[in-house]
Amino acid sequence: MTRALLRHETIFAVILLAALALLASRSDRFFTLDNMLNQGRLMAEVGLVALPMTFVIITGGIDLSVGSTLGLVAILLGVLWHNVGLPLPLAMVLGVAAGGLAGLGNGFVITRFRVPPLIATLATLALYRGLAEGISQARSVRGYPEWFYVLGQGDAAGVPVQLWVFLAAALLAGFILTFTTFGRTTYAVGANEVAARFSGLHVDRAKLLIYTASGLVAGLAAVIFVSRVSTTRSDMGTGVELDAITAVVLGGTSIFGGRGTIVGTVLGLILIQVLKNGLALSGVKGDGTIVVIGAVLIASTLLSNLFRRDGNG
Amino acid sequence: MKLTTGTLAFTFSLLAGGAMADSVWTGGDSLPTNPLACDATPGTVAAQPYNGGAPTNPPDRKGKKLTVVDIPKLIGIGYFNATSKGIADAAKELGNVDVKTDGPTKANIDDQITFIDNYITSGVDGILFSANDPVAIAPVLKKALSKGIDVVGYDADASPEARQWFVNQAQFNGIAKALVDNLAKEIGEDSSFAIVTSTFTTPNQARWIAEMGAYAAKCHPKLNFLETVEAQEDNVLSFNQASTLINKYGDKLKGIFGMTSVATPASAEAVTQANLCGKVAVIGLATPNAMRPYVNKGCVKSVVLWNPVDLGYAAEYVLRAVADGVLKPGATSVKAGKLGELQVINGSEILLGSPFVFDNSNIDKFDF
Repeated sequence: MTRALLRHETIFAVILLAALALLASRSDRFFTLDNMLNQGRLMAEVGLVALPMTFVIITGGIDLSVGSTLGLVAILLGVLWHNVGLPLPLAMVLGVAAGGLAGLGNGFVITRFRVPPLIATLATLALYRGLAEGISQARSVRGYPEWFYVLGQGDAAGVPVQLWVFLAAALLAGFILTFTTFGRTTYAVGANEVAARFSGLHVDRAKLLIYTASGLVAGLAAVIFVSRVSTTRSDMGTGVELDAITAVVLGGTSIFGGRGTIVGTVLGLILIQVLKNGLALSGVKGDGTIVVIGAVLIASTLLSNLFRRDGNG
Repeated sequence: MKLTTGTLAFTFSLLAGGAMADSVWTGGDSLPTNPLACDATPGTVAAQPYNGGAPTNPPDRKGKKLTVVDIPKLIGIGYFNATSKGIADAAKELGNVDVKTDGPTKANIDDQITFIDNYITSGVDGILFSANDPVAIAPVLKKALSKGIDVVGYDADASPEARQWFVNQAQFNGIAKALVDNLAKEIGEDSSFAIVTSTFTTPNQARWIAEMGAYAAKCHPKLNFLETVEAQEDNVLSFNQASTLINKYGDKLKGIFGMTSVATPASAEAVTQANLCGKVAVIGLATPNAMRPYVNKGCVKSVVLWNPVDLGYAAEYVLRAVADGVLKPGATSVKAGKLGELQVINGSEILLGSPFVFDNSNIDKFDF
């Protein structure tokens, strides 16, 4: 099993390096430190969301509501600070907590009522987005204090702040998935849920925790997003779920569950961001980029299936 | 315990929602309004100091070839196809400008910001934009200015300090007056109407609605505002929203304002399909090509717009003038090719002209 996994990630790393080399040759502004750090900044929000999404997909589930959760937390942040008058740090914490609550709601419906994750999160996608629209009355909140913008627009030791946050989160997620019993439980639930349950693993508790984490991290991504664009809008985060799922699947996580690594997800994120940026810099227009990303996704899945050995992995 | 926290959070969020309802016409912004006189007296334009931004250490671009990118709210709709054509025409006339139009396929500010960011990295000389959100777009435009890139907006503005100039198609209060006067003429002073807009935070639509509210309060106080719905410049959504309005208010709804070039034909289609042509008036901003079938059928009496081809054309000329150093802060007018001298108003806005009303006497003469 480890060998097959290692194979996909290695192939992927090679593809990534090839893409980097190709794109760097087409534009001399691509492979500069300034540009790379900037792409890191832009990648942080989707990246953060993709980390718990890896866990979710490994368990064989899916979370389509992360984009709507992001929008809802963004609105709550604005409303709690501006209209209710709470101090901004408290509003940030409450906003992220609300994201966790939204994730908990998902987990509750999925574990307690046995609703398939696809349907449950599809419903909450609409529900949370509707709540965001309703609460905001479509008014945006602006005029945050200067220190708030450091999170989304500032640098620490030359590297964008949100990139540090993402790195820390990626290390934490990777550690949990690879070295803890919780990580092992995640793989077990995805590989064979019935067997996991009969082996005495707390399947429902694991799922509940994973979906709550997904909501919490979406909330964190929302705070960073608001800080980056300096305003809140109720349509923020539309489409983030698809970007995150693409990155996770590209990185080798099987959509049927049981396989996947954080390293793969991070590589997938980097490849997508690099493609979007590099293609734009070499003169390809917006629509062309989407076509290429779709093609890469299909090619990567095919390659992964080619090299994976069935049965004893 | 979990249930109580959940209910508390839910009720709390609903209460917070209640705390927000305030303004008169939904969808307007909260900037100060300046309604025109009820008769045909033109408004006065007070001179204001320059309030635009400035690029940091721009290279000397006088007379040199410019690489320009035009990033509208979205691509693929008739209105922005027309502005792109105007920009391309101007570039061809000038001869030393290389311009490309690129943008998101949905009117989404997140995507628009990414597009602008990529073009900043690729080292363009100038950026033309029409913003999906005036505040959200400001940080990335300021970044462009800090890299010495010239930034000029058209159609939908950003915060003034994030761009150098903004080409305004018509005075906001002029558009408001034309729209409200024409609707009142069609449905009578004492009737109810609704508005279909893009989103409540899109800058130009929000300004127009705010001005329309102020003008109606001043000159047509008996007009009854029902509601504003969002349709995000999407065809299907606009049609659905308009149909919902018709079903919801029934006989009470006498008129619909279409605030985007997509909403107006979609609303006209909704009225036609509900067999209410002539009973529910539709008036709004739209391209003549989109509205011609409805105007010729008598379903829609008048369409208000400006010439978007001219708008793009003027924007490109303004950018060239800025890059050449001909147009400086404090100027009172700028020469824009075949459009002649355009006036500078409100500090850093350049006025294209007055709004134009298309009706069945002249709509066949235009092709955009």
